[in-house]
Amino acid sequence: MIRVENLKKTYYLGVVEVPALRGITFEVKRGDFLGLMGPSGSGKSTLLHLLGLIDDPTSGTIHIGGVDMLNLDDDERTDYRLNKMGYIFQEYALVPELTVIENVALTAMARGISDAESRRASMDILSTIGLSARLNHLPRELSGGEQQRVAIARSMVNRPLILFADEPCANLDTDNSKIVLDQFHTINEELGQTIVMVSHEEWHKEYFHRIVYLKDGRIDREEQHS
Amino acid sequence: MADNLVKLHLSFFLGLRSLQRGNIGSLVMTVVIIAMVFTNMIFLPSVITGAIKLFEQQTIEYQSGNIIIEPKKDAEYIDDLENLLARVNRVPGVLRGAPHYDIGGVMKFKGNRLPGSIIAIRPRDETMVTGIFKKMVEGQYLGEGDTGVIVIGKLVAGHEDESEDLMPSLGGVTTGDSIEVEYTNGVTRTYRVKGIFETKSYMVDPLVFITWDEMESVRGGPVDQATAVLIRTVQGEDVEEVKFSLIGMGIQEEIKTWHDLLGKAFAEVVQSYAIINNISTFVSLVIAIVVIFIVIMIKTINNRRQIGILKAIGIHRTIITFSYVFQVTILSLMGILFGLLILFAMNLYFSVYPIVFPDGDIRPVFTVADLAANAVLLFIASTIAGFLPAWRIAREDIMTAMKG
Ligand SMILES: Nc1ncnc2c1ncn2[C@@H]1O[C@H](COP(=O)(O)OP(=O)(O)OP(=O)(O)O)[C@@H](O)[C@H]1O
Ligand SMILES: [Mg+2]
Repeated sequence: MIRVENLKKTYYLGVVEVPALRGITFEVKRGDFLGLMGPSGSGKSTLLHLLGLIDDPTSGTIHIGGVDMLNLDDDERTDYRLNKMGYIFQEYALVPELTVIENVALTAMARGISDAESRRASMDILSTIGLSARLNHLPRELSGGEQQRVAIARSMVNRPLILFADEPCANLDTDNSKIVLDQFHTINEELGQTIVMVSHEEWHKEYFHRIVYLKDGRIDREEQHS
Repeated sequence: MADNLVKLHLSFFLGLRSLQRGNIGSLVMTVVIIAMVFTNMIFLPSVITGAIKLFEQQTIEYQSGNIIIEPKKDAEYIDDLENLLARVNRVPGVLRGAPHYDIGGVMKFKGNRLPGSIIAIRPRDETMVTGIFKKMVEGQYLGEGDTGVIVIGKLVAGHEDESEDLMPSLGGVTTGDSIEVEYTNGVTRTYRVKGIFETKSYMVDPLVFITWDEMESVRGGPVDQATAVLIRTVQGEDVEEVKFSLIGMGIQEEIKTWHDLLGKAFAEVVQSYAIINNISTFVSLVIAIVVIFIVIMIKTINNRRQIGILKAIGIHRTIITFSYVFQVTILSLMGILFGLLILFAMNLYFSVYPIVFPDGDIRPVFTVADLAANAVLLFIASTIAGFLPAWRIAREDIMTAMKG
């Protein structure tokens, strides 16, 4: 489903080069639930940005469903993100001017689903992850964990083919983390959604089918689970 | 198609939320500035239009009527006057024709000598055609059959202190004073001043009037001639049509509408005013464009992170751009509405307290055409001004934008 070859990303801070990814080659199969792990600064978020078509690699290729993603223009990538992908940012990235329910419903509305239907679907997900009481709050009125859960709901409302999650439970307690991971497990099992998730927590491993460990911008090792 | 509707709907939705949840202060400020610019765009032209209207009205009301008949080319007088008047007064659309007969003379008062022409009128006809009789500041207007009296304009009467006069005068004549007139035919008469008028028109206030009977006595017999016939048309009649009917009656003399009379020179003056108007409109538009450009640029820069997020979750940049364009259209519509309100208030105010100019009271004239044209111009200008910065920021790459 996703095939990445010799992916490199170098940040330039003035004249200083920061090589965040130094050549990543790997594959994610359809229906996979992949864990990305590794020390802080190893390049997990950078890799996820590239896979999610949010940033451009310095070199290398990304194929998704056989399509060369780097050949798509800006609008085609936007469409791809909207229609095929869900993305949970490490820093949540909620739209500040929209309420909780509007944040979640927005991408559904963008896909042409009626306002009422979008809201209903959003409400369902928000209640699953325990945010029914916060529907009309603005992001700045929420705690970090609540914002994170809104971001999770938003990424799932369109039942995307592929879900990218960058430490989605970083700010959640164990109970809430379990709810989210169980939810991921369900959509992965029942809808066959492919999930790529970054995590630090050892106990998350039991949810992953496979784990890729990054270190200094390279793949350190892989681990197969079942 | 459906896709575009979805996009439009989303732009609308995002724009509306941004207006609701953005900075109210800058929103109000933008609306007020647009309102001011709109008011400014309309106000100067309206004063100029008012001044032009005033001048036209003064010309019609005190000088020419709606139509004026003048002697044929190369002739000094309109001959066969009674016959001509009878025909004129039969023409449909003509309220009345009033003859004028000018004779040259020198007026004398307390050692002041003032050469000029003395105009003989028929008071009953004249009061149906011109409005000078309504502008008496002292005494009374001429009555039918009056003899031995004269009615003079304020500028002729003048002041005892010459420095207060705008042009040569008799030096402070008041009603009841006697002035002597020495006509060019050698006859000299002494007249009691029956009244003084002031129209505030520089063309009219230097005039003096006597009755037709008085003039005939000066000329020593009946006069069937005139130097001009002023015609008042019935309210709402098209003067060009009436002029046409007059020509159709076989009148050979020169027939001019007030429009013809003001003629080319006046058209050029109006043209010059139009240039001033256009410059003022242009400057107003530039101000509006700059203000809106800056407001939206600040707004988009402040919203960079949000714009990056929207793109990251799959919202098209055109949707984002148009969400700002949409905000600008709302702001400029509100500004224009507010501006209309201000203009409406000004209109009310100036109809009660006109702007006092030396040559008359000017009421700004707001025409629907001007209002509409300027509103459309301002609307288009502000939309473009809002589009550019939004378009620019919406093209930024996501990671740069998301860092804010
Ligand atoms: N915008 C940027 N400009 C410069 N350097 C960057 C930028 N983003 C990331 N980096 C650098 O790239 C490297 C990889 O960063 P990345 O965010 O991918 O790490 P990570 O594995 O997600 O870490 P964490 O677990 O702390 O989230 C780090 O050294 C980081 O400092
Ligand atoms: Mg990270």
